[in-house]
Amino acid sequence: MICTILKIAILGLTDALGIWAIVGLGVAGNWFLLATLIIGMGLLNLALLSRRAYPLRYLIPGLIFFGAMVVYPILYNVSIAFTNYSTGHFLSKEQAIAHFQRQYYLPENTESFSYQAFRSAQGDLILILSSRTTGALYLAMEGHLTLLDPKDPRLLYENNQIKAFEGVPPLSTRELVQNLNRLEKLALPYDEGVVRLASLREFKVYKPRYQYDPDKDTLTDLLSGKVYVPKEGSFTSEDGESLDPGFRVYVGLTNFVRIFSNRQITGPFFRVFRWTFLWAFLSVATTFCLGLALAILLNNPYLRFRYLYRTLLIIPYAVPGFISLLVWRGLLNTNFGVVNQILNSLFHIRIPWLQEAFWAKMALVLVNLWLGYPYMMIVCLGALQSIPSELFEAAYVDGANRWQQFKKITLPLLLISIAPLLVGSFAFNFNNFNVIYLLTEGGPPIPGTQTSAGATDILISYVYKLAFASGRGQEYGFAAAVSIIIFLIVGTISALNFRFTKSLERMSEGL
Amino acid sequence: MYRRPGGLTKLFYHAIVWAMIAFAVFPVVWIALASLNPSNSLYTSGIPKKIVWEHYVELFSNPHHPFGLWLWNSVKVAGISSLFIVFLSALAAYAFSRFRFWGRRTGLLALLLIQMFPQMLAMVALYLLLLNLGRYIPWLGLNTHAGLILVYLGGALGFNTWLMKGYFDTIPHELEESALIDGATPFQAFVRIILPLARPILAVVYILSFIGIYSEFILASILLTGTKAYTFPVGLRLFITGQYSTRWGTFAAASILGAIPIMLVFLSLQRFLVSGLTRGAVKG
Amino acid sequence: MRKFGLAVLPVLLMGMLGLGSVPGKLIVWCDETRAPIMQELAEQFTAKYGVPVEIQELGFGDIRDRLGIAGPAGEGPDILIGAHDWLGQLVANGLLEPLDFMADIKDQFVPVAVEAFSYGETIYGLPYATEAIALIYNKDLVPEPPATFEELIEIAKELTDPEAGQYGFLSNIPQPDPYHSFPFISAFGGYVFGKSMDGTLNPCDIGLDKIGALQGVELILRLVNEGVLPPDCDYATMTGLFNEGRAGMILTGPWAVGDIRKAGINFGIAKIPTMAGNTPRPFVGVQGFMLSAFSENKALAKVFLEEFVATKDTMLALYQRDPRNPAYLAALEEVSSDPVVQAFAASAADGVPMPSIPEMAGVWVAWGDALQLIVTQQQDPASALKDAVARIRETIGCPGL
Repeated sequence: MICTILKIAILGLTDALGIWAIVGLGVAGNWFLLATLIIGMGLLNLALLSRRAYPLRYLIPGLIFFGAMVVYPILYNVSIAFTNYSTGHFLSKEQAIAHFQRQYYLPENTESFSYQAFRSAQGDLILILSSRTTGALYLAMEGHLTLLDPKDPRLLYENNQIKAFEGVPPLSTRELVQNLNRLEKLALPYDEGVVRLASLREFKVYKPRYQYDPDKDTLTDLLSGKVYVPKEGSFTSEDGESLDPGFRVYVGLTNFVRIFSNRQITGPFFRVFRWTFLWAFLSVATTFCLGLALAILLNNPYLRFRYLYRTLLIIPYAVPGFISLLVWRGLLNTNFGVVNQILNSLFHIRIPWLQEAFWAKMALVLVNLWLGYPYMMIVCLGALQSIPSELFEAAYVDGANRWQQFKKITLPLLLISIAPLLVGSFAFNFNNFNVIYLLTEGGPPIPGTQTSAGATDILISYVYKLAFASGRGQEYGFAAAVSIIIFLIVGTISALNFRFTKSLERMSEGL
Repeated sequence: MYRRPGGLTKLFYHAIVWAMIAFAVFPVVWIALASLNPSNSLYTSGIPKKIVWEHYVELFSNPHHPFGLWLWNSVKVAGISSLFIVFLSALAAYAFSRFRFWGRRTGLLALLLIQMFPQMLAMVALYLLLLNLGRYIPWLGLNTHAGLILVYLGGALGFNTWLMKGYFDTIPHELEESALIDGATPFQAFVRIILPLARPILAVVYILSFIGIYSEFILASILLTGTKAYTFPVGLRLFITGQYSTRWGTFAAASILGAIPIMLVFLSLQRFLVSGLTRGAVKG
Repeated sequence: MRKFGLAVLPVLLMGMLGLGSVPGKLIVWCDETRAPIMQELAEQFTAKYGVPVEIQELGFGDIRDRLGIAGPAGEGPDILIGAHDWLGQLVANGLLEPLDFMADIKDQFVPVAVEAFSYGETIYGLPYATEAIALIYNKDLVPEPPATFEELIEIAKELTDPEAGQYGFLSNIPQPDPYHSFPFISAFGGYVFGKSMDGTLNPCDIGLDKIGALQGVELILRLVNEGVLPPDCDYATMTGLFNEGRAGMILTGPWAVGDIRKAGINFGIAKIPTMAGNTPRPFVGVQGFMLSAFSENKALAKVFLEEFVATKDTMLALYQRDPRNPAYLAALEEVSSDPVVQAFAASAADGVPMPSIPEMAGVWVAWGDALQLIVTQQQDPASALKDAVARIRETIGCPGL
């Protein structure tokens, strides 16, 4: 009874908070967060109030984080794929316009002023500017410049220097520095320009460089007179000159079209895809076999020191990947690496590990085996526990030998719980950027091609090269689009694999 | 499944394992040697001519690089995240295993498939997310460990859930059914009966999550902006992303020390990987 | 309900403080080499003017990329310290604020340093160090540095004994490292990007497959063929072996000197030997201070830079911590009695600033791949370079081929 009351109270409180936040977001116009919040609130209420949606209560906590940390980045990624987010187009249009509006230039022979600042009774800053050209004095107050008579009674002189204004002494250099923020925001209209802070000790007359006309959506360079119109994310003039920085715009399917029409991509696509597939398959196959073999070996209660062995064998997993990969890279150096030095002293051969395509692939598979077998070993160790021992007792009594026991009992039951993991491992290695990039960087390069796809590039590392190491660099929009395509590929393969493993699951339900 | 092996077979088993251990440990031994080598290089010499401890000392004597703090941060973040991940995952796995509801099959499949999306641009998205979150709730924003933990919790649902579900599936329903008949709620059955029996798989998921989060540096490096808040891999990267200034000696020493927490976690949780699940629990 | 709202309000307000540029406080991004000295400077500045300065340490390679995300989001720094070749991407994205005070004080700096940090007429950085590679040699193995490359090859041949693990000459060009290969290319008149009429670089005029580059690369190949350059040496191996006294000569820059000194090697530095009578012109890299366009404290930052950083004392202090040649003339004079400084300055005097336009991003990898194919004898220099340039032109989007 108390539980129900508590449940309703908490739900009520969260609902109230939620509504308050929804109203706030609605007022602020933050539609994305608003929608998410409404969906979240709806699900929460459904879960806690409906009897039929009882299982939802178990799923909601995980789903919240899944939604925020996995789904949201994917949605973000998808939205970027339709923009031109890349070098030269980082900013939003407003930010780009603001950038141009902040530009001032110094006209020829511009007038400069020395100044002193005073604090008024209300805490505002009052400035007295002295023109270096004409010697005239000006008073800057509340955003206006007014001519000041040197004999103004508010001024107090000492040795021909202004000692105080309205009884207040000027700010010291130290205080000026602390107030620079306010000083630099001043833009006092003067003549045809604006008087602004030029450095710590002087003001100068500036003129704005650009003018933006929001009605006609044009940017005019006041110095040269050129008019720029926004086109494809940059302000472009009639003669084709475009200004940096540009801004992000939606470009529809341009990035996707580029994927299919760009020779840099379509050329090596099948070769890279083939290797990606092979690589993912080999990764899973080798690590699983070794991991399983070790797990069976180490699960044997008659093997002494097996806890020690297990601990030693997961050492590859204990050292962070990027460290081990860098170390392996050094170990596999053809002339100077230890592996080859050992091989040389034993067999008098030096294998060009990272320099020839075939050996580079071998190296990748081997190093990945080293990195990945502990994971498989741990998982298999855990899953082996779930096989009831009576099955083995019964099989032994029936006269089955160890290999038959393995084939008929261990493997099928293991695969039921592990098969999806294998599929997942396949997908993970399909996109395993880290290992490829840190060990071979996708190399060695292939002679005679005019694309940047190396011999061991997988789809994702190739995309990285195309997006960040070519053209003007940092082509996020393009990379996002290709990520979606890669996802479709790997998702389809995995979905098919899952259908295949479903049949395994059905097989077990008869047990 | 196992019979007492004969003497020769036992020797054979031990030999295989030692061969594997050599393969596994060899690069790490190399790192260890480099950490004791006075020169700052990684692989030009084998056994160092003299053994020095200066790299290890250097690690702890730089106030700008609080290595001990970094290790602690990593352990803290990984430890707490893994705990939550195990719990969240187990909750969901229980639902997928025991309840039959609309969207059960497809839901699980969807969870797995969605996680296969390439994470290249996830960093920018998550950076903005934490940035905005931090504007409303400062202790959950950028450069906070709480915020980082939240991000890692996104990985709770997924393969961990499937692993656990598979394990839960093998726990006979009869165990809870008797409890339910006796008036327990499904949640109580979950906590009192299923969880204790599922210790092996909980331990496995904890270990895997811990190791994964402990070594994670991509998200951590972009979401943590202050040196004091860095986790171990992020701090380590400071040593090697300098222009041409890789300090291999210090780097190696840090790597060796950094591997210790993981080994400790594994050692302590290893005993849960034992069988004994349903031996004799179900009679008839 | 209202009480709850009131309770939340301070939390919200606190939230708005954020971590990025905050009015009245300076945030500086730098890497771990410069952080300690910047910390001291920060304290001095705060003591003098009462303005807090916070130093945030990032990996050197991360600073530029992070600025692109953090700056527009309002979380960026005010000042950052980095390399001049970042200018291309940063200016193209509107991330940097021009340093107008530099126009008045630019005579206080080495000219090529100011040029490197300029884009057209606008100066975007306050340079503090220049670097270029030179020949570093082990005086015990090589008493007199070679003046020509022919001499170098002879000396190297005598010294090289792979069985004993001793090498006469090592270079990490085969890594591949195009940066270190540029002196070969420039010696014969090669270039990366040509200049257009107004003095800026023309990204579609690529000189890597022209005759100058070809001759340079052929010399590199010759070094490999004559057994003088191991075709897979990388940076760590090169410096590692040199620091163990097992390499006679290496080609690299001032960043390596610290470790060499620590290893106790009796070393000397010389200009890169001439090649067929031509002077090699290495890339000159310049490190400097830049101002973020999204800073809330631009005037304050400029004061910090002009009053504090652009002084002889600060420049000298930076030099102590990071032994690259100062770009500030007064500081350079002060330390030029150091032969190391002299030698690197001589090398840099012949040098060419590294191109900083964003199109450089596509050049490094293609160039590196070509080098690797050439050095491992998988493709002849002419066609490898041609392929590389075709690739670059295609990704940049140059018209025709």
